[in-house]
Amino acid sequence: MPLVSALPLPLQTVWLIPLYGFSGMVLSLPWATGWIKRNGPRPAAYLNLLVTLLAVLHGSLVIREVMQLGPQHLSFPWFQADDLQLRIGFDLSLTNLAALELVTFMSLVCQVFGLGYLDKEWSLARFYGLVGFFEGAMSGVVLSSSLFMSYFLLEMLTLSTYLLVGFWYAQPLVVTAARDAFLTKRVGDVLLLMGVVALSAWAGSMEFNDLYAWAATANLPPLAANLLGLGLIAGPMGKCAQFPMHLWLDEAMEGPNPASILRNSVVVTCGAVVLLKVMPLLQAAPLATTVLLAVGAISAVGGALVAIAQVDLKRAFSYSTTSYLGLVFIAVALQQPGIALLLLFAHGLAKALLFMSVGSIIATTNCQDLTELGGLGGRMPATTVAYLVGGAGLVGLLPLGCFWCYGLIVESIRPAAPLMAAVFILTNLLTALNLTRVFRSVFLGSPTPKTRRAPEVNWLMATPMVSLSVIVLLLPWIMQRLDPVPGIGSFSLPVALVIAGSGAAGVVAGSQVHLDRFWSRSRQQAVRVVQDLLAFDFYTPAIYRATIVAFVAALANLASWFDRVVVNGLVNGIGRVSLISAEGLKLGVSGQMQTYVLTTLVAIVLLFSAMQWWFG
Amino acid sequence: MLTLLLLIPLLGAVGLGLWPGNPDAAMVRRAAIALLVVQLLASLRVLLAFDPGVGGMQLQEGISWLGSLGLEYRLGIDGLSMPLVLVNGALSLVAAIASRDVQARPRLYFALLLVISGAVNGAFLANNLLLFFLFYELELIPLWLLISVWGGANRAYAATKFLIFTAVSGVLILGAFLGLAFTTGSVDFSLSPVTSEHLAMASQMPLLLALLVGFGIKIPLFPFHTWLPDAHTEASTPVSVLLAGVLLKLGTYGLLRFCMGLFPQAWAELAPGLAIWAAVSVLFGSLAAIAQRDMKRMVAYSSVGHMGYVLLAAAAATPVSLLGAVFQMVSHGLISALLFLLVGAVYRATGTRDLEVLRGLLNPERGLPLTGSLMIVGVMASAGLPGMAGFISEFLVFRGSLNAFPVATLLSMVGSGLTAVYFLLLVNRAFFGRLAITPRDPQSGPIDIRLPALNLIDQLPSLALAGAVVVIGLWPASLGDISEAATNGMALMPVLLAAAGSGGLG
Repeated sequence: MPLVSALPLPLQTVWLIPLYGFSGMVLSLPWATGWIKRNGPRPAAYLNLLVTLLAVLHGSLVIREVMQLGPQHLSFPWFQADDLQLRIGFDLSLTNLAALELVTFMSLVCQVFGLGYLDKEWSLARFYGLVGFFEGAMSGVVLSSSLFMSYFLLEMLTLSTYLLVGFWYAQPLVVTAARDAFLTKRVGDVLLLMGVVALSAWAGSMEFNDLYAWAATANLPPLAANLLGLGLIAGPMGKCAQFPMHLWLDEAMEGPNPASILRNSVVVTCGAVVLLKVMPLLQAAPLATTVLLAVGAISAVGGALVAIAQVDLKRAFSYSTTSYLGLVFIAVALQQPGIALLLLFAHGLAKALLFMSVGSIIATTNCQDLTELGGLGGRMPATTVAYLVGGAGLVGLLPLGCFWCYGLIVESIRPAAPLMAAVFILTNLLTALNLTRVFRSVFLGSPTPKTRRAPEVNWLMATPMVSLSVIVLLLPWIMQRLDPVPGIGSFSLPVALVIAGSGAAGVVAGSQVHLDRFWSRSRQQAVRVVQDLLAFDFYTPAIYRATIVAFVAALANLASWFDRVVVNGLVNGIGRVSLISAEGLKLGVSGQMQTYVLTTLVAIVLLFSAMQWWFG
Repeated sequence: MLTLLLLIPLLGAVGLGLWPGNPDAAMVRRAAIALLVVQLLASLRVLLAFDPGVGGMQLQEGISWLGSLGLEYRLGIDGLSMPLVLVNGALSLVAAIASRDVQARPRLYFALLLVISGAVNGAFLANNLLLFFLFYELELIPLWLLISVWGGANRAYAATKFLIFTAVSGVLILGAFLGLAFTTGSVDFSLSPVTSEHLAMASQMPLLLALLVGFGIKIPLFPFHTWLPDAHTEASTPVSVLLAGVLLKLGTYGLLRFCMGLFPQAWAELAPGLAIWAAVSVLFGSLAAIAQRDMKRMVAYSSVGHMGYVLLAAAAATPVSLLGAVFQMVSHGLISALLFLLVGAVYRATGTRDLEVLRGLLNPERGLPLTGSLMIVGVMASAGLPGMAGFISEFLVFRGSLNAFPVATLLSMVGSGLTAVYFLLLVNRAFFGRLAITPRDPQSGPIDIRLPALNLIDQLPSLALAGAVVVIGLWPASLGDISEAATNGMALMPVLLAAAGSGGLG
């Protein structure tokens, strides 16, 4: 490893990149806390945009240098105690840097979009501060070269998700959404922490490279290896909103839309990047791989199905995120990390575009209920185009981003895991169906009272949306440059036809589905049962409330009862007995000397005989 | 130099107590704050003179007091007591600053506060068992008075409970110290460890058990914790800050210094049981905290849970886990002090701590936004979110203990996850939502309220504590460097003893 000081300046100072985001948070403080009240909170937003722009520029400089010098590794000591070495490390590979550029660029785009979307928000500065924190943590996660640092920053992501979801904390739904987001992720994080601590204790180092070397030679008992593997995948599962920890993403849609854009595109990507980084450690844990596959498949198909039954505009797409990340999980579990990254990239951009379009609709109509929308097609041309491009980028039908990913993955897993290939095709079909259905409700049909006078959004929202549309259209070309070997089109024609066919079938099915504004629940009993099942997410929230939540609550009540009745009762009982016996003894006072002497004598005799019996 | 840390508060207490005339409460408070600032500066001077590279006691000073009894005035400081002395200095100052509402008998109140601060310093610095015991008991009576005179409605019950529990703890500790002197036949009461060559394991065990229960009451560990929630609920905010931040640390300090330090071999025998005890304590404290409605009780139960980590770390007794124990003591001191200050601020503004009543306090205009933001920092730190002191402490404890006691460590980590549950409940209920109070009559609907804004000056102690929590979290070496040599030495002690016992140190 070359000396840090020998590297070009942009590489030497790469540690600044996460700090740009964090500094944005600090810079927003004067406005967020209300110390500066003049001229409104806008300056905080501008400062954040500025530091994010710096991060993007710095990142592209680093990419240029790394293309010339090859991958670099930087690390700085942080804390050391006995045999424990914790270092801050950055892995500057092209993959990581591409993810970094995705994160910082999306953050920039969302912040511009947010200026329009949150135009009248009184706590704009707080929002931008939180987004800065968010961005800093994400840039750190994708660059990090050590498991410890990844964990550290993933937890910060959990915290900032909590605060961003809870942004409008006065609303009751937001309160529960923020709580669920934090607790679900926290469950994953605590399991991940168990894995991190175990690896730290067993392997010594926390650097990924050392861990890979250790994993190759370590001879763990199967139970320990499997538990370790499960712990390591639990964190990414929570972050990527995978079954059974998928609830939070849907509820998180209560937060402001610009944050939803980030959450559905890049935050889940961060979780998946961490999964990719821990994947080589799971060699000895077949159980973990099986779980990954199962979780991915359930999330992919289940998420796509549940999305179809949603009447909320944002939720219809948040479940689709769960579904696509499920596909990524399958790809990772089947040892296809390259394709997984491409899929993450393509999905991230297309989903962000879709969410921008959704945000525009919500901003102009103040409505996100599908049954109350309609006829927006001609009224909001940029938004419509963005929706169409985003949707096309997401499904395998037109030759945009995800089509090539679908082709690659189906081609490569078809021989070994035909079932999983079928999952991909089914998900594609269901996603196309969902997108078509939502398109019909929102953009086609007759205008409703809420959409009759909807104008196109202002330039602050339109500019990022249009630019991102262009990028999504150009994505195949970018992917070609990112991953030249073996080329993104290296799959056979039948596979391509099957994928395009499934996409087309989905579109046709979506255009035939019966949509009724007034009867959003079907009148046929059988259809209605299925519809409710999906609309309520297979009743997962209710199942959780009845099982795990009830269990913890019961344990807590039991502990509290035990504390009050048994422990405290015992203590009070002893106190009461002493008081009562003292009261009783008080009455035995006679005032006669003889009685006292006699009592004393008897006591001494008893004491001595007891001692005699005890020791003799 | 160390004697100064005792003289400033104790003489100051005498001075305040003898203050002639009828001084204004604010005047007395200012004088006490000045004294405590001087004490904190003196502690910082000790830190400058302190050499972190030395593992054992340093800056020792002493005179023979009652030599025939074995009571000697010997002070010394090492990497275990140095951070605790600093925390004591800082939190005593915070407590004095937070004692704004004290109007009745200010001279006595602040004198007692100073006595506690001095006695705690003395206990941390004492190098003689009897001297430690004297200081340990000296802190008890003032605290009892502080609760029973300036406490809440049910203070008599809580204060008596506290007094009886802690007195029993003191008796057990004194009994163990005296028993040690009788069984070994020497009366020097020094801090040198006892080996099985001098004293049979059968005699070591009861002595160690007595010490364990004695300090276990103080820490407190399940099932001896029942005095703590009551004492906290009835104590005023500054007293709670001192109680949680400093006085509980006497228990864990005693655990490390005396239980482990005096009986390393017996300790190693008991360690597996102690780890389970720690896990039970952690889980019980966390679960009981979930069911609480009173914010202060919730924070008090969280102490039961979080102090359990120290026992776990001490049971594992590896270099990393012992360093983690010191980290946990310091960060729990800072975090729980912060939480109690904030709960106190909420109580002052709203007159209640009931989580069923409080709502939406984060409201920026009519609520307590700064208190709410700091509360989020505090609860996240307590839940072990990285970037704050709680995380690195827990990480060190778990990392150090996992190999020795995997099951107990994993259970304790579950407890760490439960912390997030109850503190999130606290923030969600009290600070999120719409700012309104629910009236007793459910028909009339919630009433909008406007809370008085708190002065920024009043919030300075909380801001400073939150700052310290973040600094330790981001720059753990600041604390680690002070303590590492000492904890490494303590972790190696059993090894050295074993080597000495087998006839050579190599």
